[in-house]
Amino acid sequence: MFLTDEEQAMLNGEYGEAAEIAMSVLEKLGDIYRADRMIEVENVHIDGAAYGWIDDAGLELVERFCNSGAAFKVPATLNPSSIDFDMWREFRVTASIAKKQFRLAKAFMKMGAIPTWTCAPYQYCTNLRFGQNVAWGESNAVGFANTVVGARTERLGDLADICAAVVGKYPRFGLYLDENRRGQILFKLDQLDAQSFTCTDYGVLGFFVGSIARARVPVVDGIPKNVNNDQLKAFCTAAAVGGRVSLSHICGVTPESKTTTEACGGTKPEEKITIGINELDEIREKLNTLRGGKPDLICIGCPHCSVGELMKVAHIMKGKKVEKHIKLLIFTSGMGKTLAREMGIIDVIEKAGGKVIADTCWNFIPSEEDILMTDSVKMAWTSLRKFTDVILNNTERCINWAVGKID
Amino acid sequence: MRKIKIRCHTVFKGIAEGEALVTKQPLCLYDSLDPKSGNIINRRHELFGENVSGKILVFPYGIGSSTSAATILEASRCGKAPKAIINLETEPVIAVGAVLAEKLYGQIIPIVDKPETNPIELIKKDDVVKVDANQGLIELIRTQADSLTRKKNN
Repeated sequence: MFLTDEEQAMLNGEYGEAAEIAMSVLEKLGDIYRADRMIEVENVHIDGAAYGWIDDAGLELVERFCNSGAAFKVPATLNPSSIDFDMWREFRVTASIAKKQFRLAKAFMKMGAIPTWTCAPYQYCTNLRFGQNVAWGESNAVGFANTVVGARTERLGDLADICAAVVGKYPRFGLYLDENRRGQILFKLDQLDAQSFTCTDYGVLGFFVGSIARARVPVVDGIPKNVNNDQLKAFCTAAAVGGRVSLSHICGVTPESKTTTEACGGTKPEEKITIGINELDEIREKLNTLRGGKPDLICIGCPHCSVGELMKVAHIMKGKKVEKHIKLLIFTSGMGKTLAREMGIIDVIEKAGGKVIADTCWNFIPSEEDILMTDSVKMAWTSLRKFTDVILNNTERCINWAVGKID
Repeated sequence: MRKIKIRCHTVFKGIAEGEALVTKQPLCLYDSLDPKSGNIINRRHELFGENVSGKILVFPYGIGSSTSAATILEASRCGKAPKAIINLETEPVIAVGAVLAEKLYGQIIPIVDKPETNPIELIKKDDVVKVDANQGLIELIRTQADSLTRKKNN
């Protein structure tokens, strides 16, 4: 891989320890992926910001970078933390984990990180634009940046993301290159009433597309133009869970794909798949482990709720009360919670007995509950190590369950 | 016994020799490895109950998790990392862990992949294997069966 004189000097340690370590990691990745050179990235989203993910060695790395005087070269947003910084004591999180997360936060912020603590940074202050090179971790965020905005990013792993933020660069391979962004497999919606799809339906659709496309770039034709960002978030999240999809071309939505021909870069797709009601029902079957059971925990906000989603939840809950034997947890970012609080939304949800958790992820909330109900395909698919059974329902039905309007 | 040598591709340089721990199943290090003990803790994996520390770990490929680099690095910090890794296809995040293990803890974990012949068919558990990632070479030094015969003869 070609390195500029400056990059070579970094590798040789002339720009300090942090730059040397960061460049060594990025050069090795470039070497493995046969990148021709580094590219400058405009911002970074750090996936591994939780002590619970990057462990003591990750904490040591971040503190070592920080103590060596390093500052992030470009704006860097942070994925969820291991704790809700205000409310962690309410959730049987151990003091030692909280203490290490606080240390991690201090070191990240001393280096200039933006304390977003969210898996959906695109809902707030990341200035994404079409064609822009960024370096993001967190599969749902990577999917959204590539698919909805048409920014360009590979999916960064933990620790490599921190390295990218230190030098503001990433090796040029994969989705940074035109030839790898071309759609390869075409999905057509067949007699589906997509206009009436909920976010959860979009999640089921995304999961199906991901599970068939796997490592290929899917093109999806037939999604209505008035699809909203919450629905697209659900689609991208599930596509990354069902397969390893980091970019989908949604015709008429993805900026580089007005038509299927444009999405495929002027070539023909290798394969065409029709999606009807049966395909989606099969996925629902796969995600629901229980028929007719009652949940004792209901979770909303994987990925983190937007303010709009919090508004919807509050609207359904207003004046009602969460059932005694059910716990309702709603996850969002600190920013989402602050805005929603000002709008009076948090008050409505809390009065009705729901809990709004910020900065963190359901993965880090200790739970004794057995049966989970969620509106998130990602949570339904990945939470079985925590729960005995999972029920997937759309947001409205989940909330109605919580307040006893369905049995 | 005639020494078996397999040419392969270097992912991360270094030389190591030790007993092999082999699986035909793909392995997600984040889900399956407890880095603080080196134990494989995933009940659904055939290596469940085994310990990777100090072993030449042979598995076909890693399964996606963004967190596996941190798992390898933490195992290295705790002195519980495998001595070397042999894959059919290495997941790049593992290499991130190896680069950082060298930089932070001075520990070199050689990694090789794309072997000319499938080592998962050839190498058995507890066989002594040498990985020379500087030259891109896997060497089967002594098979477990070999060691047993030798013990008997003594």
